[in-house]
Formats: sequence, C-alpha cells, structure tokens
Amino acid sequence: MVSRPPTEHELVERARGGDAAAFAALVQPHEEIAFRTAFLITRNAAEAEDAAQVGLTKAWRALPRFRRGAPFRPWLLAIVANEARNRRRAEGRREGVALRAAHELPSGDAAPSPEGRALAAEQRAELLAALEQLSEDDRLVLSCRYLLDLGEEETGEVLSLRRGTVKSRTSRALGRLRERLEEAG
Amino acid sequence: MNELERRLQELGGEIAYPATPRFDLAFERRPARAWSLRPLAIGFAVLLAIAAGVLALSPGARSAFLEIFHIRGATVERVETLPDVRAQRVDFGERVSREEAERRVGFELLDLDEEPDAIFVRPDGLASVVYGDPAHPRLVLSQARGAIYDGFIKKTAEQGTIIHEVTVGGEPGLYVDGPLHFVMFVDENGFISDERTYLAGTVLLWNRDELLLRLEGDLTEEEALELAESVE
Repeated sequence: MVSRPPTEHELVERARGGDAAAFAALVQPHEEIAFRTAFLITRNAAEAEDAAQVGLTKAWRALPRFRRGAPFRPWLLAIVANEARNRRRAEGRREGVALRAAHELPSGDAAPSPEGRALAAEQRAELLAALEQLSEDDRLVLSCRYLLDLGEEETGEVLSLRRGTVKSRTSRALGRLRERLEEAG
Repeated sequence: MNELERRLQELGGEIAYPATPRFDLAFERRPARAWSLRPLAIGFAVLLAIAAGVLALSPGARSAFLEIFHIRGATVERVETLPDVRAQRVDFGERVSREEAERRVGFELLDLDEEPDAIFVRPDGLASVVYGDPAHPRLVLSQARGAIYDGFIKKTAEQGTIIHEVTVGGEPGLYVDGPLHFVMFVDENGFISDERTYLAGTVLLWNRDELLLRLEGDLTEEEALELAESVE
C-alpha cells in the first residue's frame, strides 16, 4: 500500500501540536515565494533573507493562533511581508536595488529571431523602467498581483489591504503604468 | 486580462531574483498546550511564547524574564538584557482627520486636556493622538481596543528601569520609566512587528473600559498619572 503525502490541513494540525518537522514540510513549498515577496518589499537580498527567516520563525511561534481551515500560504506571506515592511521602514526610504530581468528569454517551440529577441528585451526593459517609476504603493500592488501572480485576496493579506482596495489600487496603478509607458514611447 | 496585465505577468517569470537562500527550519519542538485557560490567560501565554521566540532569534540576547507585569492587552517584562534588534521609530501610521480615525478604529478617540497637533491611525487599529511636532512629539496618547490587540510587550533592561503598578480612574495601569523600551505589537492574527518606542521617556499604560491606552512623553510618574486622569 502506498501512503499518500499528508495534506496541508494535516500538516497544519501536526505543526500546531508542536511538530517542527511537519511545520518544515508545510513551509518548504512556500520558501521561494516568501523570499521573493520579502525581496520585492525590501529590495535588498540580505534584508529579504533576514525578513523571511524571521517571518518563518514567527509563523512557527504564532501557529497556535492560525485559524483552522484558512489557507496557509497567505497567512505565512503576510507574516513575512510584515517583517519585510518593518525592515524597510527601519531603513527609511533608502533606495534598494532596481529590479532587472534575466538575460535569457523563455524558450519555446518558435524561437524568436535575433531581431525579435532584441525587441522583446527592449519592451521588457521599458516595462520594468516604467514599473520602477511608480510610487511604492502602486509598485507593490502590481508586483504582488502580476510579478508574484497572487490573487486579489492574497495580495490583500500581504499588503494589509481590503480586497476592494486591492482592486481599485491595482486599476489605478495600471493606469499610471500605462501613462508612463506612453510617455516613454 | 488586458495586454498590459499579460505583459506584467510574463515579466514576473523573467525577473532576475536573487537565489532563494536555504532557510533554517530546524525549530525546537513546541510542546502541545492544554488550552483550558480562559481567553485572557491564553493570550498572555501566547505572548510569552512569542517573546521567547524573538529572544531566541537574537544571538547573545537570550535573557531570563526577571519580572512580568500584565494588564488587559499589554504585558511588560523586565529582562536581563534587551534583545539585539535594530532601533526604529514606531510607525504611527497614516495621518488622518479625527473623524476618519474614529471611523477606522470604531470608537471615539480620547484626548488630553488640549487640542492635539496630529492624529494617526495604523491599519491594525492603533490610533495615536500626537501633541507637538509630529516628527518630534512632546506627548503621544495611543489607543486601541483591548480586543484588537492581544497585547503589546515591553521589555526593559534591568538597570535603571522603573516599573510600577498603578491605578488610573480605578482601572489597572503600568508606569514604565527607563532609557529604552522594546515593544512588540501583536495583532489579532498573531502577526508581530518589533518596534522600539518612539520616545525615550516614560510610558504609562492603562485600561479604560474596552480600551488600552498608552501615554508617552518626558513625564514624572505624578505628571503622567495626572494627565492620564484628565483624559476624556
């Protein structure tokens, strides 16, 4: 008989009971997105690492208060994001590193021509530059929604915003991003 | 999804993030609790566990709890040494009108016997009435529903810190006077943010009905108590 892997709910229950191994199994699938969330907020790899590590530890300590039946990832990301925001505030408005795109374009069946690749890279750079010019609030909501691909509900958890606010802020931020792109174009 | 949203989503897969580090997940096994305490006592126990966790994060800052004082919504611990955390200012939140602040926190804000210079509110429901230049306040009266906060914790260094149990308007309070207070806010979801107090002077914490009030400023105990009694 093949044993099935434990469900998230089962891991949560075991972790709530004090099982650290269950907690590790619970958070491991979310380590990358937790770190990236912290990085998008702090814009500093070392600060993001610290924020995520402290956030994971705080989540472990706070787990007895985790609401049963609630999805785990938004809760975890909210704790990490909270820690990252605290660090960001502590650092003041110091500029972090700018986001940059990887050099490699995603491969596909229809590999673009050298000209096509250059054009795509240029458009990507323009989009990144326009994104970087937005206010922090606008940038964060777009980063959560699209760069991290979080839903509205989860973005709200991460940014401590109501779902309606996420919706309206996203819409306004997209408008401002479009304006920036038009100005640049 | 429109074209711009699609481009942003594609960009998400192309960002050159730093490599995700290996996190230390070797947590100590947390003993399972017998949750038979009353709600207030549960909150208190959780806060103590959290405090221990934060101390454990700070190398060299492992410290015995020498004394613990508690009122509804707040715990003050006297510890041997302060945790080695980065100093930062308390974030008062967004500056808003009184009406807006009251709408957001859901209760009427209390005042000292003078008109405040600014009112701030945080998303977690803590309102601060500020007297003097908001960048360098003379007095800050912070207020939150005790039910919203399980508590915030102040840790104080052993040396030179005074902690007195006091009574304000017949309700319990704590007067803390020392050079540094380390504060942890805990919201209703159990999320914690570590912040040092904005002012290095005295802090008076007390309960009034459902509220937890915190008065900060450069005050003697007598002055703090007199001001607290005047709060309306």
